[in-house]
Amino acid sequence: MAWIAKPSGTAKIERRDEPYLTASMRERFERELLPRYETRQGALLPILHEIQHAWGHIPHQAMLEIAAFLGLRPADVLDTVTFYEEFTTRPRGECVIGVCQSIACEVCGHQELLDRIRQKLGIEPGETTDDGKFTLITMECLGSCDTAPVALVNETLHEGLTAERLEQIVDEAARSERAPHGPC
Amino acid sequence: MPVTEPVLTRRIPTHPWGDPAKRRTISYDDFVATGGYKALEKALATEPAKIVEMVKESQLRGRGGAGFPCGLKWTFLPPPDGGRRYLAVNCDEAEPGTFKDRLLVDFDPHLVLEGIAIACYACRLDTAYFFIRGEYHHQAKVFQRAIDEAYAAGIFGPGGLLKGRSDFAVDIHLHRGAGAYICGEETGLLEAVEGKRGWPRIKPPFPAVKGLFGRPTIVNNVETLAAVGPIVERGVTWWTGMGCESRVGGAPSYGPKLMGVSGHVARPGVYEVDLGIPLRRLVEEHCLGMRRGRRFKGAIAGGVSMGILGPDQFDAPMDFDIGRTHDVMGLGTACPTVFDEETDMVAVARNIARFFKNESCGQCTPCREGAGWLFKLLCRIERGEATSRDLDMAIEIAGSMGIIPGTTICGLADGNNWAVRTIINKYRPEFEARLKPRFVSIGVPVRA
Repeated sequence: MAWIAKPSGTAKIERRDEPYLTASMRERFERELLPRYETRQGALLPILHEIQHAWGHIPHQAMLEIAAFLGLRPADVLDTVTFYEEFTTRPRGECVIGVCQSIACEVCGHQELLDRIRQKLGIEPGETTDDGKFTLITMECLGSCDTAPVALVNETLHEGLTAERLEQIVDEAARSERAPHGPC
Repeated sequence: MPVTEPVLTRRIPTHPWGDPAKRRTISYDDFVATGGYKALEKALATEPAKIVEMVKESQLRGRGGAGFPCGLKWTFLPPPDGGRRYLAVNCDEAEPGTFKDRLLVDFDPHLVLEGIAIACYACRLDTAYFFIRGEYHHQAKVFQRAIDEAYAAGIFGPGGLLKGRSDFAVDIHLHRGAGAYICGEETGLLEAVEGKRGWPRIKPPFPAVKGLFGRPTIVNNVETLAAVGPIVERGVTWWTGMGCESRVGGAPSYGPKLMGVSGHVARPGVYEVDLGIPLRRLVEEHCLGMRRGRRFKGAIAGGVSMGILGPDQFDAPMDFDIGRTHDVMGLGTACPTVFDEETDMVAVARNIARFFKNESCGQCTPCREGAGWLFKLLCRIERGEATSRDLDMAIEIAGSMGIIPGTTICGLADGNNWAVRTIINKYRPEFEARLKPRFVSIGVPVRA
């Protein structure tokens, strides 16, 4: 979960002039999110969700901006970001295929799904295709064991899958153009 | 008297009473039209302390896994001191094999909201956080819509509960997790709501005394809260008429229970049945037997943490005593994953060990390191490269981790401990068949 050594001391942070946390986002967070929590840090997870959703990952610059916005140390934000699997600090493919590997899915044939995607896209779990279109990951129980095997493609759960059906879903995703990243 | 009508699934078509294909999300209007929020109305006309007393009398036990008496937990709260008090609703549901809370959130979210409103009124809790796991994208949207409907109808909000029927006001917020099993542990959940990493806290102090933001907090499971409305509406005697008495002289297991069956059964799904139903009946009557007519080999008792029921335990009654009578940790979430005769139990153990290795939060060394080593050992056994010493070591490592041996802060490692140990103990010949012979010194030096 959180056991990846990071060369934090020497890492260079990529920066751009335009902030990730736009003025309108700040205003909206201040109005909608912050009153919900006793401390400003309470709003951290919902804010990270928004950034992850908008950009497909959480850039380091965004973490610095969030830290300043919530009055936290940047390390506190990094601490939370790296703990949760759904947050990634590096960009992933436009389409993230998460195949469930927990017990019910394994005994109902998740391996066929994985093998088909491996073959088709030529990537292993954790890797992204060279064109940046697809990322394959394995996930732990997605809470839909009665319809195993299942996969979460971006934010949509597909149930009762066969290798053919998953391939079809991937083909459809390959054809569709996703809107460019940006604040929502 | 057994369960003769659907209780929590009243509005969710479920076998044998309805066809799951006809399920749809019950909106606020549909909910009210079918008698919804009547229990809240009744509760608001009663003294809060009486509601707590009633839930205590019903002996409602927590449906999230531990089976702790809900009413008793509520009485741990200190008296109100004018400061904030919280309810944290646990919809993390990340235990492999478990998918019962999803059913309620997907199709009858207002039943859950009604239970939340009653619990807040009874315990004088002014703010509720509905903590839902990050992977439930669709369910988070459904529940947020239900919350918005409830606010629009005046159930929640500054005007007081149920359009000002009570001057006690409650706010509810949806809070999404982000893919961490450990946030289903009650104090890990609190940390996640506070925006920190989900590291469980050392108890005591218990959340009821010092929980969210240092204030008194009650943490309840979705299904537990969903049961509060029906109990208040129809009374304690009706509730205790369902389920079963204890078989070992302990606390009874009253009421109906949602049981989600997965794995090698003909018709997997969530069923609402009496607590105490034998696993065999659950599988044969409700799930239409084993898939492809194969034989039963074993079943995870209720979420992988609980350990496994062996081939000779198909008749185990699914109640809260199961941990004391069938060599598993407990009933857990009562969502069994069933395996048929062709299942490789070494692979099952390896799968579960990997889950715990991935989900250990890393705070306590025995769990962080032990989980990694267990996974490696089980992989080695699966590949046929291990000796009997490795198998013994796997059992020794497993047995040393958790709250019960006293080496960790939370129960995650106990789940790993029980799962691995019970699988090895109940299917030992299968593990031994994979071992490499070990050559032992018999004390004669070769170059004497």
